[in-house]
Order: sequence, then structure tokens, then C-alpha cells
Amino acid sequence: MNERHEQEKKQFMKLLGQEEVDELDKRFQILESFLKSENHETCQEISTRLDHEGVSLGPGFVAETMELLCRFGFAHKLKFDDGPPRYEHRHLGLHHDHMVCTKCGIIIEFRDETLERQQVDLAAAYGFHMLQHKMEIYGICSDCLKKRSMRVPLSRTKQGEFLVIKGFEGGKKAQMRLTSMGLRIGDTIEVVSTQAGGQLVIALGDHRFVIGQGLAQKVRVEHVCHHPQADFPKRPCLRKLRATGETVPLSRMKEGQEGVIARVAGETRLRRRILEMGINRGATVYVEKYAPLKDPIELIVKGYHVSMRVEEAAHITVEGVRTVTKR
Amino acid sequence: MKRLTIALAGNPNCGKTTIFNNLTGARQKVGNWPGVTVEKKEGTIKRNGYELNVVDLPGTYSLTPFSIEEIAARDFILNEKPDVVVNIIDAANLERSLYLAMQIMELDRPVIFVLNMADLAKSKGITIDAEKLSALLSLPVIFTVGNRGQGTDLLVETAIKEALAEKKGKEARRVTYNREIEALIREIEASIDETGLNLESWPRRWAAIKLLEDDQVVEENLAAMEEGRVDEVLAVAERSRSRMEEFFNDEPEIVLTDERYGFIAGIVREAVTVSAEKRADISRNIDLVLTNRFLGFPIFIFFIWAMFQLTFSLGVYPMAWIDTGVTLFSSVLDTLLPQGMFKSLLLDGIVAGIGSVVIFLPNILILFFCIALFEDTGYMARTAFLMDRIMHTVGLHGKSFIPMLMGFGCSVPAIMATRALENRKDRILTILITPFMSCSARLPVYIVLAGSFFAERAGTVIFGLYATGIVIAILSGRLFRSTLLKGEDAPFVMELPPYRVPMFKSLMIHMWERSKMFLKKMGGVILVGSIIIWVLSTFPRDPAVSARYADDISRVTLEYTRSMAGADPVLKKELALEVETRVSALEKERDKELVANSFIGRFGRVLEPVFAPVGIDWRAGVALVTGLVAKEVVVSTMGVLYGVGDDEADALNHALRNSGMTPLSALSIMVFVLLYIPCIATVSAIWKEASAQWAVFNLLYTTSVAWSLSFLVYQGGKLLGFG
Repeated sequence: MNERHEQEKKQFMKLLGQEEVDELDKRFQILESFLKSENHETCQEISTRLDHEGVSLGPGFVAETMELLCRFGFAHKLKFDDGPPRYEHRHLGLHHDHMVCTKCGIIIEFRDETLERQQVDLAAAYGFHMLQHKMEIYGICSDCLKKRSMRVPLSRTKQGEFLVIKGFEGGKKAQMRLTSMGLRIGDTIEVVSTQAGGQLVIALGDHRFVIGQGLAQKVRVEHVCHHPQADFPKRPCLRKLRATGETVPLSRMKEGQEGVIARVAGETRLRRRILEMGINRGATVYVEKYAPLKDPIELIVKGYHVSMRVEEAAHITVEGVRTVTKR
Repeated sequence: MKRLTIALAGNPNCGKTTIFNNLTGARQKVGNWPGVTVEKKEGTIKRNGYELNVVDLPGTYSLTPFSIEEIAARDFILNEKPDVVVNIIDAANLERSLYLAMQIMELDRPVIFVLNMADLAKSKGITIDAEKLSALLSLPVIFTVGNRGQGTDLLVETAIKEALAEKKGKEARRVTYNREIEALIREIEASIDETGLNLESWPRRWAAIKLLEDDQVVEENLAAMEEGRVDEVLAVAERSRSRMEEFFNDEPEIVLTDERYGFIAGIVREAVTVSAEKRADISRNIDLVLTNRFLGFPIFIFFIWAMFQLTFSLGVYPMAWIDTGVTLFSSVLDTLLPQGMFKSLLLDGIVAGIGSVVIFLPNILILFFCIALFEDTGYMARTAFLMDRIMHTVGLHGKSFIPMLMGFGCSVPAIMATRALENRKDRILTILITPFMSCSARLPVYIVLAGSFFAERAGTVIFGLYATGIVIAILSGRLFRSTLLKGEDAPFVMELPPYRVPMFKSLMIHMWERSKMFLKKMGGVILVGSIIIWVLSTFPRDPAVSARYADDISRVTLEYTRSMAGADPVLKKELALEVETRVSALEKERDKELVANSFIGRFGRVLEPVFAPVGIDWRAGVALVTGLVAKEVVVSTMGVLYGVGDDEADALNHALRNSGMTPLSALSIMVFVLLYIPCIATVSAIWKEASAQWAVFNLLYTTSVAWSLSFLVYQGGKLLGFG
């Protein structure tokens, strides 16, 4: 593996040197750092690691360089769900696909020759010449599946799941309402969508129902496995990558913790106010303290102190949270 | 002499005010921006053969259309077209400050960057390459240290040079966006050209960007300027926005914000080096104590207590001097002027009225000194940080606390202290409920009434009144927040600036400006108010009444003079005492009749049916009406009407008890005094700080609340058998 990395570095110097790319040294440092890790990394993560190594290059510069690496075929850009783009090594001639666990975020790399061949065949059957393909399977990994209790309230299920109703809780009234809607124990339902506020749209046969959060909590369901795992021989995966990009709302961070802002949500006015104060995506935020009455919260962003209410901080999502003793 | 206009722009806490003070000294003109109550400061200086008009724009973080300050700043640059915009930047906070700078640059006026507090940045290990910054943005960049006055001359020279250079023509500076966004901007620009839309003084590119950001103010202005023709452009903008939203998967204005930060990050990376070496952050260490979990509140309470003490205790001495001065002045006038209507107007109307306002001056000076101290050191932001949790439950901002607290002293400075609040809705809300904080002028009324009717329980009753005021304030706050001043309160997102040693000069200017404004503006209203009240209480003057009493008095005096002539010394003394008592009784009788017959007295009697259900007789009613001038006056009017001198408290107590007033009606009067129309000075303060409409609204609201609550107390008490 290392030999290949050395080769990649040499090629990088040669190619980019020819193209007269500016600040080659700094970009080379990014490549080196990137090659060190086998993870799927975001620009922010690369930049943070570089920081720890004593090289201070902003995430913006890293992003630009990573785009360059993609262009010259040293890296491959991936986008899972709606997270920030992640990059992986692109070693020529090697291809793999991904499975992403929606619960824990683990990324499993796999390669299946049958699938690869079938895709070429399928494309050919349509008179289509396949150049490239991208395959991402979203679901729940075996570990998460094991951890999952068999019987859960309907309110805790996710969009797209197939479930069997196992029982109703709560008083007679709730039961009556559910049965009058035509939901019976033993029915198989599909979760069509979950909305903010906990409302669910479910499908039973060709009927749709809307169920509020309160009612959904009272319905006990079990997951239906499309393909019971036991039927298939277990296959080794190429690699398992622990996703580091776990996000928490800023309001849940503790004093002395630091993280990188992933998203600023909320009503436009508040959002703009937060953004214009320099609290934007990619900025590092440090929780200095909470006020004596636990609200508001004092932060350090871009080297200055700013305070906001906890309810406002809840609109800001932070990733890569870690505790630092003192900044 | 050639005139140039220089606008100072920058973030709050960037030292802009200090630089403005350095530039203009005490030659400042403080006014309001047209149509809004945002303070506008201007000053004129002469330099190098130019007359420079320096305008201090409100300190803002951005130029969005969401706050009046930002709109005021933006409109000034767009419409007044200053010859040069001096953008003052906190050098230690370059990245954040550049966000505003980018928006100012987009307004297409000549801009110079002033990196202020360069010493602080250096001590933080930040080095800024000014030449590189200047080259990257193609504008002049200079360093200053505002609080030591360094760089002020350079600033003026650079500003003049840049203003002149512009007149020779210079290529447009611009913030470049992503290629896709640039394409969309060009598309909107093209559509502006095609439709021949008249943008008047607006830069075309800026207008296009604002349309892409869905800026309501710009859209409305365009629609107003160019009826009909604008629709096509708006349609193009709408289409561009949805394309952008699709492409970037986010709201266009957020994408543009991100883009600007991207551009800024690039500049910062080029021009700034930060040495890893960290030094002790004094400001943070101070905060370890001042916003400490356990010490924060006790220290805060101590500071507030100290401010209160200073304002209302230390203020007592100069107040006494002023009082003596006014009394002396009026007695001099009294002896100098001939008896007559004019003298009465001058003495009882104008001098007394103005005197009652000037007497607040020490309070106001000290209070504004304290507030300036809080603001300039950076502690003000911390008080908001500490108090926000509590104030937020009432729908108020943390910064509302100090004005409301000051209300216990005097509503006038309290209302003026609301200037610390940035959001207009928060300010009006605070202004409206501050008069419910029982001010110190109402205390004499409580003391007399509670003392007369509740004896040893007087303390409890007075405490209850104060508590009632607070409860009513909270309830009113919630009511207004959910009706008249609806909407989320402003985001609390607030900078906690580093602690700074305040500059004496700055504190003095701050204090003096505010006080001058108080004197000038309040003075006018009070003068008119006092004259009106004087007219109401003097006319119609029935000369017969005065003449009759004058006759009586001279008859009595004559009578005694006669009998005294033949009496021995002991009897003489007794008789002299007797004559004095009789004359003063007659004078009291006369005053009573005069007041009762005056317009204000008649008004009180007309109001009798209104006051009857709340258990207030016509005399107390008239006293309440005269309380408009100042709350203390209620006591003295009562003295006159109940037939005792205003300096005889015991006699008044006695007279009140004998007048048929019951404890219940006394309580009703006190509740009424607590809640009804604030004095004329307060009303005019509300007028100046909010608007005439709000002043009238406050007048009606407070009075109806007062009446309703008094009604409840009186009728409820009667039902329960306390009558």
C-alpha cells in the first residue's frame, strides 16, 4: 500500500508541477496528510488534522486542493445523504461500492463481481455504454440491527421501514381509534414518511394514514426483514469505516467543548443574524460558559466572544465535538 | 471651501465612537436619522483646505434590511453618496469585520479600511499585512490606535485623497462570487438594462445581488419607483433564486453569505498570520469573576445598587442646590416684578415648571455617566447576559433590566436609558411598562395616605404597592408582546466585547450629549406643559373672590390692630398669634376656593362621577389631576384642598382622617397613583423616545389600568365588608 502512496506522491509533484499549480508545497502537505488516513474524510477533518500536525491551512484552501486532487484523479469525492462531501483515495484500477448505515453512520466498502458484471450487461441491454457508476446502499448495519430491541413504538421507526403491528398500548380510547382506522394486530405497514413534530404517514395495503406522535407511541411494532439474514452466506467486506461526523446541536454541548459548525438552521432572520456574526458553516466554535441561570450560552467563534440563547443555539448543528481543556 | 462628506462605518465595539470623538472633539451634533429614532451623530472639521462633514453611521454587523440601524446606514451610503466611507475594523476581529466591509464595498462608494486597535491585535499575536490587504481589495488600508489617538491625521489625509481619487474615476471594486452566482447576477443585471429600469442612484450590481437575496426593502423601493416595469425584473430574479436554490440546496441569501465568508477566508489567509503563542487573556479572566456561576449575580446586584445609590443619593445634593437656586431666583423675581398676571405666569408657571425639570439634571448626568461607564467597559453586555433568562420570560431582552430598575428612581432617565436596546420593539415595550415601576416621586403620596390610614401596617401596604406595580408591568409586558408588539423578540445573538478601560473624554462626551438632549427636548415640552397647567389652575380668575378674601383679611388685621393698640405686652403677643392664625385660615380658605373654581378644579369636579365608583372624592380627584405636573404635587394639592398648608404633614393626616375618607378609599387612591398617567416629564420622554402616538397610548392605557384596578380594590373591598 505504502509503495503505491509513494508512487502517487511522485506523480502528484510531476503532474501539478507541469500544470504550474501555485503553492505546491502546501498542497503536497495536504496530499500527504490525506494519504495517511484510510477514512472517508471531509475537508474539515483534513484541515483539523493538519492543524494538529502544526500546519495551519484553512478548510477553504483544503477544499480547493481536494477538488484539484479529484481533477487529477488522486481522490474521489463522495456525498452521503446530505452531509458534507467526503473524499477517499482513488487508486487507479481499484473500484468499490459503499453501504451506509443510517443509524450509526458506518460506511462499509464492498466489491461484488457479479454486480459489476451485471451492471455492464444491463447497460449494454439498453444500448448504453457504461463509463462509470456509483452505488450506495443505505440501511442498517448488522451491529445496529443486533442492538435494536425487537419491539419498538411506531414513533421511533424510520421512513421506508416495513413493520408488523404487534400490539396497542394505552387506554381503550386510543385502541378504539386505531382499530376504527382499520389497523389490526398482525397487519404489515410501511412508514411512508416521518415529519417534524413526530407525525407519521403510514401505508396499509393501498391506504394511507396519518398518525400523530402521541398515538404512534402507543403502537408497538416489529421490523419485517425482507431477506432474513440467515438465508445468505455472510461475506467479508473490504473495509469498515467508522464515521466521525456525528453531529449534535450546539445547545447540547458542554462548557469547554469545541466543535465545527456543520449547519445553521432556523427562521431566516435568526439564521442571518447568526451568520453575519461570523457563526457560519465550517467555523470552529468553543463553548466558554453558560450563564448562571443556564441560559444564555457564551461562545468563542473566530476569536471573539458571543452569547446567544440556548433555544437559538439549538438551531446550530456541530460536528466533531471534543473536549478541550482550555483554548 | 470645498465640502466633503465622510461616513464612518463599522461593527459595534470596534472603537468607532472613539475615533469619531478624536476626529470631531466636542463639536458634535446629535440628532436622529430621518424617520427613525436611531441616534445620528455628525461633526464638521476643517483640514487641508477642505470642510469635512463626518457622519457616524450606526454600528452594525451587516447591512440586511432587518434592523432600522442597518437600513439607516445603508440608505445613507446609497442615497447621500458620501465622498468616502471610512470602514473601521477591529484588527483583532478582522474576519468577522470583513463581512460588513464586503457589503459596504458592494455599495460602490470609495472605501478606506481603518484597522483599529492595532496594538490589541498585536498583543493577541495577530499580524496583518496591510499592503497585501490593500492590494487584494484595491483600497487604502491604514492602522490606528483609537484610544491613544494614533493615526487620526493619517485617516483624514487618506480619506481626502481617496475621495478625490474617486472623482478622477477608478475601476469598480467588487466581491466575486461563485461562477454560477456571477452568471445569475449578470442575468438580473441584463434584465435591468433591458427593461430600462431606473435605479436612480443605486449601483446596478448591488441591486441585482439584493434582488437575488430577496431583499424586501429593495423590492418595495423599486416597485414604488418604477410601477409596473419592475415586474419583469422581479420575475427574472425569482427564477434565478429558484435556480440557485436548486443548485446549492439552500436559501439564496444563505448561499451568498457563505460565499462572502469564503471570499473573506481567502483574504484572511493571504493577509493575516497568527503566531501560535498565546498570552493571558485579561478579559477572560475578568469574566471568570463577573459572570461566574456563583459570584455573577451578587456582583451584578452590587453594581446596580451602587449605580442607584450614586444616582439618587449623591444626586440629592446638587438637586438641593438647584432647588435653592430656583427658589432664590423666584424670590428675587418676586421682589423685582410688579404684582400681576405676568408675574404669576413667570413664577408659578415657567420658573416652577422649568425648575421641576432642571432638578432632574444631576440624576440624569450621574445616571448617564454610570451607563456610559457600563457600556464603555463592556459590562453592559454582561448584565444582559446575566439577566436575559429572567427578562425573557416576560418577553423582554436582557438589556431591558437596567431601564426598568431605574424606573424605581425616576421614569424620565429610565426611559432614556432604553437607548441601550437595539431593537425598536423591545425598546417600546420597555418604555411602555417602565412607568409602572413606582417612581420615588410617588412615595410621598403613599407615606401620607398609608401613614394616615394604615398606621403601623403602612410599610406592608407600601411594599404591596411596589409589588403590584411590578406584577402589572410583567402582565402588561406579556400582553403587549402578544398583541401590539407581536413577533419574536429580537435574536439575542450578542457580542461580549473584551473589557476595556474607558476613556474619560469619551465618557464625558457621552454623558454631556445625552444630558444636553434631555434639557433641550424635554425643556420645550415641559415649558409648554407647565404653562398649560398654570393656565388651567389660575383661570378663570374671579377677582371678586380674591377681593373678598383680601377685604376679610384686612378687616381682621385692622380689628386686631385696634384691640392690640391698647393691650399690654403679654396680651399683645397672644393677639398677634391669634391674628396670624386667622389670617392663614382665611388664606387657606381663599386658595381652596380658587383652586376649586379654576379649570383644573372644575375638571376634577366634572370627573367626580368617574372617580366616585373607585371611592375617590372630588378633592382627591383634583389632586390626582394636578399630579400630572409631578407626582409630589398630589400631596401639596391635597393640602390645599383639605384646608391645611402643604408643610404640615400631621395636620394633613388629621384632616384626611376627618374628611370622611376611609382606609379602603385611601388604598384605592394609592393604587390609582401607582398606576395612572405618569407625570408630564415622563409623557414627553415617551413622546421623544418612541412617538406621540405611543405617548398618548401610554396615557390612556395606564389610566384605564389604574381605574380598573382601583375599581376592583374599592368595590371588591366594599363587597368583602371593608368599606
